[in-house]
Amino acid sequence: MGSDDSYNFVFKVVLIGESGVGKSNLLSRFTKNEFNHDSRTTIGVEFSTRTVQLDNYTIKAQIWDTAGLERYRAITSAYYRGAVGALLVYDISKHLTYESAERWLKELYDHADPHIVVMLVGNKRDLDTLRTVPMEEAKDFAEKKGLMYMETSALDSTNVEAAFNEVLTAIHTKVASREVTRGSISAVTLSNPIGPTSEAQEGRGGCCKSA
Amino acid sequence: MEKDMKGSAAQPLACNNVSERIDPYGFERHHDFESYKEMMNEYVAVLNRRSTRWSKLLQEKPHIEKNLTVKRYVRKGVPNEHRAMIWMAASGAQERQESIPGYYQSLLAMEHDAKLKETIQMDINRTFPNNVLFKSRAESGLQRALYNVLLAYGHHNKAVGYCQGMNFIAGYLIIITKDEDKSFWLMDALLGRILPDYYSPAMLGLKIDQEVLEELVKAKAPAVGQLMAQFPGIWTLVVSRWFICLYIDILPIETVLRIWDCLFYEGSKVLFRVALTLIIHHQPEILRARSLSDVCECFKQITCGAFTLDCHTFMQGRFKGLLEPRAKGTRGPYIKPKK
Repeated sequence: MGSDDSYNFVFKVVLIGESGVGKSNLLSRFTKNEFNHDSRTTIGVEFSTRTVQLDNYTIKAQIWDTAGLERYRAITSAYYRGAVGALLVYDISKHLTYESAERWLKELYDHADPHIVVMLVGNKRDLDTLRTVPMEEAKDFAEKKGLMYMETSALDSTNVEAAFNEVLTAIHTKVASREVTRGSISAVTLSNPIGPTSEAQEGRGGCCKSA
Repeated sequence: MEKDMKGSAAQPLACNNVSERIDPYGFERHHDFESYKEMMNEYVAVLNRRSTRWSKLLQEKPHIEKNLTVKRYVRKGVPNEHRAMIWMAASGAQERQESIPGYYQSLLAMEHDAKLKETIQMDINRTFPNNVLFKSRAESGLQRALYNVLLAYGHHNKAVGYCQGMNFIAGYLIIITKDEDKSFWLMDALLGRILPDYYSPAMLGLKIDQEVLEELVKAKAPAVGQLMAQFPGIWTLVVSRWFICLYIDILPIETVLRIWDCLFYEGSKVLFRVALTLIIHHQPEILRARSLSDVCECFKQITCGAFTLDCHTFMQGRFKGLLEPRAKGTRGPYIKPKK
C-alpha cells in the first residue's frame, strides 16, 4: 500500500490486446525485468508499478494487465477507469491478433478518457522469421488512427523500456502542457478516493505541483 | 488416463519431494515449502481423525445420502482418498455420468471445432506452469487430459465453449480425480448447475454474484462497503478472480479443496462465506487503503499468510465465526448446533 517513495504523478497505463500476445510478459519485463516462457493465463486484473524519472519529475507508472479473452470484456469496464495511457498489443507472428486492434481501440475509447495516450505495440519481434504482420502495414494503421507505434520483444527486452517510456513521456507532455482538462488531471494523478479535493495527497513528495 | 501420480494426492502428507520442494499435488513451492510443511505437520492429526471417521461412515453407508451428518462431515473436510467419490456423489455428477454411459468418449470422438481447439491449446502451457505434472516435458504429464476435458466440455456446452479460468478448474479436478471422465462430469456439475452462467459470454452469473457479495459486505461490514462504494466497478477488479477460479491460486491448495468440498455438497454460497470471512477478518487493513490501487493491493494481500494457510481453522471460522463480530453469541443462519 502507499509506498514510501515520493513521486509527482501516478500514471495508470493499461495493457490490452488478444489472449497470448504477451501482455503479462511486457508488464513483468518492464516492472521486474522478468520473462516467463510459460506464464500463467491471466484471469481478472493484475497490476504492477515502477517509478521512473522524466525530466525532473518522478512518475509512478502503474501498469494494469488483464485477460485478453473476448468475453472478459463483459466484466472489465472498470479496468479502464482513470487510465491515461494504453498499450494495444498484438503478436507480429499472428495476423489475427493484429486484425482485432480496431475492435480493441473501440473498446478502449468506449470506456477510457478521450485524452488517453495510445501506442500500438507489435510484440514478439524476436519471432521475425515467422512474421505475418508487416511493420509498414501496422505503422500506417497507427498513423491513420493517431496512435504511437513500436515493435517490442518482451523475451529479449527489445524496446520494452522505450515503449513504456515514450508513452509515459507523452502523457507527461500532455499533463504539463495542460492539454488535459482539470478533470482529467485528477484522473492522471489517479488520486484518492474521496474526490477531487484530495488529489494533492497522492504524491507524498508534493504531488500535483506541476501546474 | 490411468497414470499413477507420484505422491498420490490420497496421502497429502507424503511430501516425498522434499528436496525439490514439491507438494503432493505436484506444485513447486520454492517460496513457502517450510510454512506449508509446518502447517501439514499439524493438519495431519485432523486428517487422520477425519479419515477414520469417514471410513466408518462409508462402511455403514456406502451410498452417500445428503443429510445433516454428512453435511457436517463435509464441512470438516473430505479426506483425499474419498474426495473424488464424494464430489461425484454430492454434486449429482455420478448420476449424470451413469445415465449417459460413454458420453465423454463420444464427445472426444466427434469432429471438433477448430477455433475452440486453438483457443484451448493456447492455454494448455499456461495452466499451472508451476506444477510438475502439467509441464509439457513431464512424462506422466496431465496436459493431454486437460486438453481433452476442456475440448469435450466445450462441445458439450456450446454456449460456454471455453473461457479462461476453466483451465485451472479442470486442472484441479484432474489432479484430484486422476480421471478425465469424472473431471468432465464434475465440470458439468459446476458450470452447468452449481455456478450457472459464470463462464458464458455475458458472464451474467458471475456479475450477479459479485453484486450479491457487494450487498453482503454492505450489510456485514458497512465501513468496507462504504469505502468500496467510492470506486465504481471496483468489486469486479478485486474479486472476479476469486469467483472465476473458485479460489485456485488465490488461496492455498488445501484450503481450496476444503472450500470445494462444500461447493460440491452445498453449492455456491460457500464462495460468499469465504469472501466475507476474508474481508471481515481483514477489515482494519482494508479500511487503511487510500486509493483504488491500495484497495486492489490489499485484496491481494489478505488472501496470503497463515490465516488462509491453516485451512482447518479457516474453514471452521468460516462457518462459526462469520457473524460473531456483529452479533455476539448468535449463530449464523446456516449453523446447526454442534455435537
